[in-house]
Amino acid sequence: MAELELEVVAEIRRIAADELEWKGVVEPQHDLVRDLQLDSLGLTVLAVGLENRFRIRLSEEDAQGVRTVSDLAKLVVRRVASTARPPTEVRS
Amino acid sequence: MHSASGQDSSAPFIRSVGRALPPHYASQEQLIAAFRELWARRHFNLERLEDLHRNVQVGGRYLAMPIEAYPALVTFQQRNDAWIREATALSEVVVRQALEQAGLVPADVDHVFFVTVTGIATPSIEARLANRLRFREDLKRTPIFGLGCVAGAAGLARAADYLRAFPTHTALVVSAELCSLTLQREDLSIPNIIASGLFGDGAACAVLRGANAPGAKGPRVVASRSVFYPDSERIMGWDVVDSGFKVVLSAKVPQLVKDHIQGNVDGFLATQGLKRGDIRHWVAHTGGPKVLESFEEALELDKDALARSWASLREVGNLSSASVLFVLGETLEQVAAKPGDYGLMMAMGPGFCAEMVLLRW
Repeated sequence: MAELELEVVAEIRRIAADELEWKGVVEPQHDLVRDLQLDSLGLTVLAVGLENRFRIRLSEEDAQGVRTVSDLAKLVVRRVASTARPPTEVRS
Repeated sequence: MHSASGQDSSAPFIRSVGRALPPHYASQEQLIAAFRELWARRHFNLERLEDLHRNVQVGGRYLAMPIEAYPALVTFQQRNDAWIREATALSEVVVRQALEQAGLVPADVDHVFFVTVTGIATPSIEARLANRLRFREDLKRTPIFGLGCVAGAAGLARAADYLRAFPTHTALVVSAELCSLTLQREDLSIPNIIASGLFGDGAACAVLRGANAPGAKGPRVVASRSVFYPDSERIMGWDVVDSGFKVVLSAKVPQLVKDHIQGNVDGFLATQGLKRGDIRHWVAHTGGPKVLESFEEALELDKDALARSWASLREVGNLSSASVLFVLGETLEQVAAKPGDYGLMMAMGPGFCAEMVLLRW
């Protein structure tokens, strides 16, 4: 797994623990809805947290093919790559 | 235990419902503009947050204070002092209005139930009203804090319970909710941003009279039922923090409504020998668009059955416990109810819980 993808998964773990009161483990293969029990608000909190951390915008259309933590991390990596701002300028 | 039938001669009457909104109106777009700078401190995609505010389908809110006064309210004391002042003033307006509509005066009142979840006061607000309105010295007071949005329906149900024991008495249910004064500006979490888009300020007062009170008329409170949903404490509520009340709000509320309300309503109505089809007037708490849609779907209601709730949500937002009393007041004044018509009030709130109140005209 690429370095940035690992960083995104780590951020997903942080958001789940700090902002979504998720007490279990978070693994790349976990289904966001079934395994992490995220509802629409939880998914929004997760999306907003990733947008803030990686300075990207995620849309409804983006979410279509996203089912697992890994799918989401890969989407974020693609968005970061397609924005003008390089990830080295990312600030938390 | 409620086992009254529609013919129950001990069922109390709802005589009137006064309603008032504070004078400082802000449209949803004005509020979004005011919040934008604050959101930008932490959030990158502001359009997403604007959409969250627009998706709650609220056109604007009436605020207890001018919009420019809020940034200076930083501490819990500052917010709560403003709350005590404005809640007392607004409560006085609705009590006077409701008593006048009922053809009564403050000295006619035996018991005041005061409900709120947006501020605290000791002496409580109804004690402060007693000094302004000159209620009798033997007035009974029951301040209720913490039931949240359900308190309008639950307060009305508890007042009706009381009036069954004292059927010549008159009771007020006063709700004052100034949600804007609970807003934690520094809390830039998504639940708080949604709450800041949905909740508004307002007060309401219902006048109830016991079955044997002179001149009592209006729809009767036939029966009520409380429902508690176990192990749902984090669905809705406050985390009390140094700066005041930090909102706890889960997106699971609409699903809870979908999962439970049909069984709750059918079970309650069955105890009265009734079915959903017997209810002509639905008085639903304006929880939010998804909550109202869940009521409609789960109860298989006609598209305009909750029209007054939808209109109230659009016009003033979710007023917490006052909302269902606003809808009740509009129902009493606008609906051409016939003798024998049944109505059902429904509200939900922290616990998580629900309250249903059966009315009969």
